[in-house]
Amino acid sequence: MSGGAATAGLVADPRPRREDPRLLTGQGSYVADVRLPGMLEAAFVRSPLAHARIRAVDTDAARAAPGVIAVLTGADLSDVEPFPDLRERTRPVRQRALCIDRVRYVGAPLAVVVAEDRYLAEDAAELVDADLEELPVVADMDAALAPGAPLLYDDWPDDRIVATAPVDPELDAIFETHQVVRGTYRMQRHTAMPMETRGVVATVERGRLLVWTSTQVPHVVRTVIARTLGLPEHRIRVVAGDVGGGFGSKLHVYPEEVVIPALAWRLRRPVRWIEDRREHFLASSHARHQRHDLEAAVDERGDIVAVRGDLVCDVGSGEILPPGVAPAFVSAGSITGPYRFPRSQARLTCVVTNKTPSGAYRGFGTPEIVFALERLLERVARETGQDPVELRRRHLIRPEDLPYETPNGRRIDSGSHLEAFERAVAWAETTRERLAPTARGSIGVGYANYIEGVSPNYHATSGLWAQQETSTLRIEPDGTVVVASGLGPMGQGTETMLATLASQLLGVPHDQVEVRLGDTDLSPYGLGSFGSRSTVVAAGAVQLAAGRLLDKVRTIAGHLLEASATDIELVDGRARVVGSPDRSVGLAEVAHLAYFRTFDLPPGTEPGLEATGAYEQPGVDHRPNAQGKLNICLTYANSTHACVVDVDRATGVVRLLAHLAVHDAGLLLNPQVVDGQIMGGVAQGIGGALYEQLLHDADGQPLVTSFMDYLVPGAPEVPELTIDHLSTPSTTTPFGLKGAGEAGATGVPAAIANAVCDALRDTGIDITQTPITPSSIRAALRATPDPTTTEGS
Amino acid sequence: MNDLEPVDALDIELRVNGSAVRRRVPVRRLLSDLLRDDLSLTGTHVGCEHGVCGACTVLLDGQPIRSCLQLAVTADGCEVTTVEGITPADGSLSPLQAAFRDAHGLQCGFCTPGFLMTLVAADPAEHPTDGSIDALLSGNLCRCTGYQNIRTAVRRAWGRDDEGNASAGSDTPLGSGTSSGSGAS
Ligand code: FES
Ligand code: FES
Repeated sequence: MSGGAATAGLVADPRPRREDPRLLTGQGSYVADVRLPGMLEAAFVRSPLAHARIRAVDTDAARAAPGVIAVLTGADLSDVEPFPDLRERTRPVRQRALCIDRVRYVGAPLAVVVAEDRYLAEDAAELVDADLEELPVVADMDAALAPGAPLLYDDWPDDRIVATAPVDPELDAIFETHQVVRGTYRMQRHTAMPMETRGVVATVERGRLLVWTSTQVPHVVRTVIARTLGLPEHRIRVVAGDVGGGFGSKLHVYPEEVVIPALAWRLRRPVRWIEDRREHFLASSHARHQRHDLEAAVDERGDIVAVRGDLVCDVGSGEILPPGVAPAFVSAGSITGPYRFPRSQARLTCVVTNKTPSGAYRGFGTPEIVFALERLLERVARETGQDPVELRRRHLIRPEDLPYETPNGRRIDSGSHLEAFERAVAWAETTRERLAPTARGSIGVGYANYIEGVSPNYHATSGLWAQQETSTLRIEPDGTVVVASGLGPMGQGTETMLATLASQLLGVPHDQVEVRLGDTDLSPYGLGSFGSRSTVVAAGAVQLAAGRLLDKVRTIAGHLLEASATDIELVDGRARVVGSPDRSVGLAEVAHLAYFRTFDLPPGTEPGLEATGAYEQPGVDHRPNAQGKLNICLTYANSTHACVVDVDRATGVVRLLAHLAVHDAGLLLNPQVVDGQIMGGVAQGIGGALYEQLLHDADGQPLVTSFMDYLVPGAPEVPELTIDHLSTPSTTTPFGLKGAGEAGATGVPAAIANAVCDALRDTGIDITQTPITPSSIRAALRATPDPTTTEGS
Repeated sequence: MNDLEPVDALDIELRVNGSAVRRRVPVRRLLSDLLRDDLSLTGTHVGCEHGVCGACTVLLDGQPIRSCLQLAVTADGCEVTTVEGITPADGSLSPLQAAFRDAHGLQCGFCTPGFLMTLVAADPAEHPTDGSIDALLSGNLCRCTGYQNIRTAVRRAWGRDDEGNASAGSDTPLGSGTSSGSGAS
């Protein structure tokens, strides 16, 4: 590619976000704010049972209820195609938009009522009478793994949706000839829980389907609607508007995103459905429910020569697109973390159970394995008589190891793994000194080191989309600039980021750039926002588009200035001759020629000023190779978390006193925004470590369906975070950028667990599961009696 | 009224952001729905309808309340203020709103109107420490920010410097709360 944009760098631009004024004044446009003339409202009838055969769904009474326009069941929508099962090596679930003959979790959609308003729709929904024949419930992963377990899918031989069985006799031999340290680690079911629930509004406008939905992936939603409803993609427009948080939960395409459009299409009237919070607990993706049996083989020097694991993930009913097995593959593929363990192996089993389908949540499988691995390292240190800090230090990737390929095929191009850890250790030692324990409390310090994949190739995950991202840049006749992208922002400041990219890569003032996002009619096909990819892939796409557009600007400006095109640069919205800045023309003059005085264009120059760049990430694998290795991401950011906790020995209450994130995300395009991503991630990590839990009883009935029981951390639970940035550019990404969306959440459960165990080290407590609740600590203290400990109540 | 027959709807009169509103409202209609759907004041958000998240916070006669827990008819005769009502008429940002922007105290913005309404009704003198700011904010959930920048925005809006409370609040978790950058390695 020619042009200044190819060589120009990017610089940090810490400006306030352009999204903020509208969001601060109540002028945002979330899906629930969409209001159309004649709009009807929908309410879903959801399964009260975790597992049942549907005998019949009687809708007569509901149809006769006041204000009801339509009631549809799965049978009424049998012409809607099942969600495509696209992922390889994954058993098909043939998910239906509305269930037809089987329900597999409490909350599965059975029918939908459309009425004049939501109150009437909900009244009528209560009158729908589903005749369900109860089936035996598979309530948890052990039940699913048991021989002869009841089947969720009658044509499967068991309840395993995915099972890998790697074979490596050499590795087995290593474990037979070395000291082996093992542990079983569990992470509880919890989830993203954005403050905005999901919602869909659909209408038919001039023969086309217009759909608003709260999603991270507008174009992908469009593709799925087209495939399930049998409509051409060009007759569907999906608009995301402002999205009130997603964190992965809104990268899935959900049944309601098909049902509401189908209703609008049939009724030829606008229909709105806004998920309520209870529904969100039942019908939006859960996450993180994994159990890891990990083993480390240790040689006589105390070095870890191999790790292996048997990972089990409970994916709930499995009826979700893309499948919920994908994060567990990332857990398995991340089993060595940022450590130089020469060999590794991860066997993965994903089981279906009668619970809400699980899926993506910030960190995408990494928090689970980091928790297990960092706890195992503590155990190795203890069982081999080593200092855990020294053990980590000795095994971390060093600068001279880079680029480094993990045994699983992750190609780590850059990073500051050891330096990040050293900084954390220095911080923790001084911080511990200046903090005093509470009266019955003890202070402890914990660490977690990890790498976070940035910008994945999503093909192995989804079986459909992969990794491209496309941006269009256009200079309008007055010289203002439009950048359009298919990203799906959910609060990360993507609009500001795109304006910054266009402004810097084109050479125009920031406020001269307008951003078009989240609307499939206004942008080229994009894959949306997930996997810490937005800034990286947008930079790649905008760089390409800007280079092309600049070439044309140079040609026209050179013509106007009687200079060679190669001597023209665009600075601050003016095209000028390099070396003689007084010879310049404004972008508006260039655009005037391109659009109006086209007869004055240099010969062979097409009118108009628009260019599109489609970025495809180099060097990233879309499926594992013959050895099972998979370089799934474009780069890998590294981070170390450290925290200091106080544990009350009588009550078991953990207080997080101080928390540090040393984070290396390369160049920070907007440092304040990156800090915000880390802070928010850490708060979610605290929730997962200490408070949040989606529990079910033995019948698969959810026990947690409101914020009264699901404890999202509030301000008092989240301490001031200290962020220490290192900045190692990636060698594989545009401008060396690395993403920062997910990493904040990943290290927290491990760091807190390690700190709690450090605080209570005299008792020998060994935390192996989250959440670390007061009662779990009291139970552990009772199990490891210590004369100085008062028995907790 | 001595008529004890149940009624489906009532006529109510209230003032919303300074303007008189007269409506016949179904008795079971929530105040949040009246504001959002009937009056198109969609700045008030609904995050849970259980009274926990605080996104729906508005002022009723100057006091913060959860509009998802209040029936619209019970606002009869009251003055309601929403986020639209605390925004300067020229569409600029109030000092509190500007502090949120400058401190990056919002990401997705869904929770933000609720925080703003809680804060406009608060007396800074009653919240002298970070710990007491946290207590004030504990009725509003935010899933994006981790609260740290919200705290910073509150300090700034209340004329305190970013470090001002580090020594004052002994109940405050320690940590510098700052971000330091180092050069490219
Ligand atoms: S919506 Fe009212 S408190 Fe959550
Ligand atoms: S900014 Fe998204 S919930 Fe607070």
